[in-house]
Amino acid sequence: MTTILIFCAASAEGPDRSSLELLAGALQLKEELGGTVTAALFGAEVEPHATTLVQHGAEQVVVVSHPRLKTLDAQVILEVLEQIVRQMSPSVILFPSDLLGGEIGPRLAYRLKVGIVTDCTGFEIKTDAGAPTIRWLRPTHGSKAMAYMTAQGALQIATIRSRAFELPPPDPARQGQMRAWTVDLDTVPSPVTLIEKIQQAEEGISLDQAQVVVSGGRGMGGPEGFGVLEKLAKALGAAVAGSRPAADSGWVPHSRLVGQTGKIVAPRVYIAVGISGAPQHMAGAGSSKTIVAINKDEDAPIFKAAHIGVVGEWQQVIGAFTETCQKLMG
Amino acid sequence: MHIVVCIKQVIDPEIPPQVFQIDPVTRKQIRGTQALVISTFDECALEVALRQKEKTGSKVTALMIAGQEGAEALRHAIAMGADEAIQVSDPAFEDSDSFGKAHILAAALRKLGQFDLVLCGRQAGDVEMGLVGPFLAEEMSLPLVALAGNIELAESKLKVKRPIEGGYAILETPMPCLMTITNDESNVPRYASIRGIRQAMKRSVPVWSAADLGLDVSGLGAQAARIQIDELFIPQRQVRCEFICGESGAELGERLALRLRELKLI
Repeated sequence: MTTILIFCAASAEGPDRSSLELLAGALQLKEELGGTVTAALFGAEVEPHATTLVQHGAEQVVVVSHPRLKTLDAQVILEVLEQIVRQMSPSVILFPSDLLGGEIGPRLAYRLKVGIVTDCTGFEIKTDAGAPTIRWLRPTHGSKAMAYMTAQGALQIATIRSRAFELPPPDPARQGQMRAWTVDLDTVPSPVTLIEKIQQAEEGISLDQAQVVVSGGRGMGGPEGFGVLEKLAKALGAAVAGSRPAADSGWVPHSRLVGQTGKIVAPRVYIAVGISGAPQHMAGAGSSKTIVAINKDEDAPIFKAAHIGVVGEWQQVIGAFTETCQKLMG
Repeated sequence: MHIVVCIKQVIDPEIPPQVFQIDPVTRKQIRGTQALVISTFDECALEVALRQKEKTGSKVTALMIAGQEGAEALRHAIAMGADEAIQVSDPAFEDSDSFGKAHILAAALRKLGQFDLVLCGRQAGDVEMGLVGPFLAEEMSLPLVALAGNIELAESKLKVKRPIEGGYAILETPMPCLMTITNDESNVPRYASIRGIRQAMKRSVPVWSAADLGLDVSGLGAQAARIQIDELFIPQRQVRCEFICGESGAELGERLALRLRELKLI
């Protein structure tokens, strides 16, 4: 029986959205390949979170709960995951394409000497040559191109971009098996140690939760422009974000960077101001339901992705736009 | 401290989509008249190394696998301030996958002998797999710090700043180690000075072949690749944009808000 294994590292608050999205992907794979969907859950005191994984589609949850996993040290997780994988021999392993998945996935693939495809946004199954092959779909070249990639070998490892699969609501009726994986981590070395985490007090609404995002780019010309966007965001109850030039210039913190190397967002409305719409930016913003663009250059690529556009200098437009929004929002 | 920065040379990733072309048969980007540059994150990695050099007098070596297209990017690395540049080149290396590349780079690092820190960009600016760094760390059994922003020498260890959700983490690692570098405010690559560019023109760049590295080439090249591009294409995404009309900026702003309300978007 084939096993489709998904990797989930959870903090005390529980699995994050991207791990749950993996389950949606795993269920799609199961439809085509058969087998069972198993989640490997890592963390400190994470047993209660196994239920969340079951409700999102895991039929079995292997729980690795250990105080040493509190910091989610990649090296320690890798050692245990390697044992699990060698014992369970899954046919597919999915990782979220984030800090941990992006480190552990490749290192595991190297150890097992099997191929891996990273940053996937989807897949298709090809069956014409006997055994089904998974063709992993992913963007390349700054999202200017897309590629179907294949990895040789019976075991397929992939890291999956957030928002690649729609997160279905949890189904409390689902049943699953839990299996505690006991480990002795005392002898596992971890040369890289976490000294501290510094969380900058985030002002305003979190980018992940926001229904409306107001985003600025190179065209904002400086940090003052972002002050203006803050005002608009406040009127709309929106989060503020920026493109790579804006983040690299320090006009907006890197944690608010939308794009291929930053956040992938999918709000109801994404308002892009002074953003040209380079593919690497659209890789982060393209899943938004409605894209509104304000740009002085009518040939800017952003207008090829935007649903509603204003051609004009943002300095001239944004004041009246903000005022009218304030009035409308009461 | 000796820092080795592994760089990749790519067709300028900043070119606009209008001039971006691919060959669907070879499944590669067509270079045309475009320049070859140091891949974006590798350039950030080089910047991290050069700042360390300025602070601590480290030696910086740029290491690159390149084919017949030459080693323009390595000259640029010297122009930016790298002390040494080494090109690793052999027909047998062509179209190696990330396993092959990590194997080649590991052989080059062993030939270099002494080093304290190996830096790689988090992913290359073309295929963007982000595998060579972690693979190389595994192959060399080096501690890995993924997605580092910048570093600071703290006695015999390195303190690493890693940008994370809503802030950053400070990590500590012994040396020698390997890091993949992501862009942040602290590592925006410098421009090469005119003097640097002139000096780089005069420098000869040593080329190491498979034989120089004592590499068995049977595990390298396209036929040994475990990871393949099956199909490469340019996605068509075209949305019909509804343009707001107005005589003045103020009118445009007001009408935009009213239209968004009409569509129940705000």
